[in-house]
Amino acid sequence: LPYVPHVPPTALLGRVTATTFALERPRCVFDGHADASDAVWLAVAFANASAAFRNPLSRADVPPYKQLPTAGSYMTLETAAAAYSCSAPSPPVLRVGGDTACRDQGRQDPCNGPLPSPGPYRVKFLLMGCGGPKAETRWSEPILLR
Amino acid sequence: MAKSDDCVHILQGLLVFGNVVIGMCGIALTAECIYFVSSSHGLSPLLKATEDIDINAAAWIGIFVGLALFALSILGIIGVIKASRTLLLVYIILMLITFAFEMASCITAATHQDSLTPELFLKQMLESYQKSEPANNSDNEVTKTWDELMLQNHCCGVQGPSDWQEYTSTFRLTHSDADYPWPRMCCVLNAQRIPVNLDGCKLGVPGYYNSNGCYNAISGPVSTHAWGVAWFGFAILCWTFCVLLGTMFYWSGIEY
Repeated sequence: LPYVPHVPPTALLGRVTATTFALERPRCVFDGHADASDAVWLAVAFANASAAFRNPLSRADVPPYKQLPTAGSYMTLETAAAAYSCSAPSPPVLRVGGDTACRDQGRQDPCNGPLPSPGPYRVKFLLMGCGGPKAETRWSEPILLR
Repeated sequence: MAKSDDCVHILQGLLVFGNVVIGMCGIALTAECIYFVSSSHGLSPLLKATEDIDINAAAWIGIFVGLALFALSILGIIGVIKASRTLLLVYIILMLITFAFEMASCITAATHQDSLTPELFLKQMLESYQKSEPANNSDNEVTKTWDELMLQNHCCGVQGPSDWQEYTSTFRLTHSDADYPWPRMCCVLNAQRIPVNLDGCKLGVPGYYNSNGCYNAISGPVSTHAWGVAWFGFAILCWTFCVLLGTMFYWSGIEY
């Protein structure tokens, strides 16, 4: 998919902090490619590890948040594809790193935990269906935290 | 003889009038300095914590100088009316001493305006705000003062909420950046002191957080008061100087 994720251009003071950053919500990007049961994930990788990132073949292979220091990437923000459709009313930004509770509990669920270092990071959206990845956006420009 | 008697009487009248004015100004100075020391719009914890003792010291000196001026003015009135050389000599000496103290206090208050820079308050805020194990009571006071300040004036930080992002602080040690990019008090709060939109506040969406810095709210009242103390003191000193000159002239004219 030709969409490039990016930090929202509007002047939000908190769009990039020391451990979080915001992304503009991709609207209408996955329409036409997604079924009702598909999920859209956000892959986050260190900028120098993004080239080595391989899309997971199924939901069980999704790299969790804990793997970020070792594998250099993880996936989070699992959302139903319908939330990104044209008709869905939703807040215009996504916040990456805003969930401090899941970091401590070490749950296996997708965890949107705070980022451990300033990065820089690159992100892309990945549309996952039952049979594996169906579509992906392009990698973003490197995002450097404070 | 009648003419010089008249002159003497006029001089006496002028001196009594001058002393009455000094007495009233002394009371006013005492009142103003007491007000400055006790209230300062609730900012005195911040001033005390900056360990800038000089403005407070100037105010305290002002209190005692005001009382001394009042007492000396009464002494002066009695001395002039009785035409007593000793009383007037005592009056002149004590008045000169008080004059010197008040001069020092005014100069201190006037010159220390420049020390109240934003950096001073920024440093204090970053060090003391939300200290989890407050070493002394003043850190608690600083936190409470800042919370009230940010709540009442709808402001955040000294220059803005970015103070909390750009500088390391004691607050950052206990509050994670993801949950608290800036303190909760910087968010727009409803009547129950709960943020109206917490996610909006964390993201910095205009309307859900206070984007102005608090420096104007701090420096305004303090500056006004300090200038008041300084310039009122200078005005009193000018008047006192004239009355002193008149008293010395009168004293030298009194026959033993």
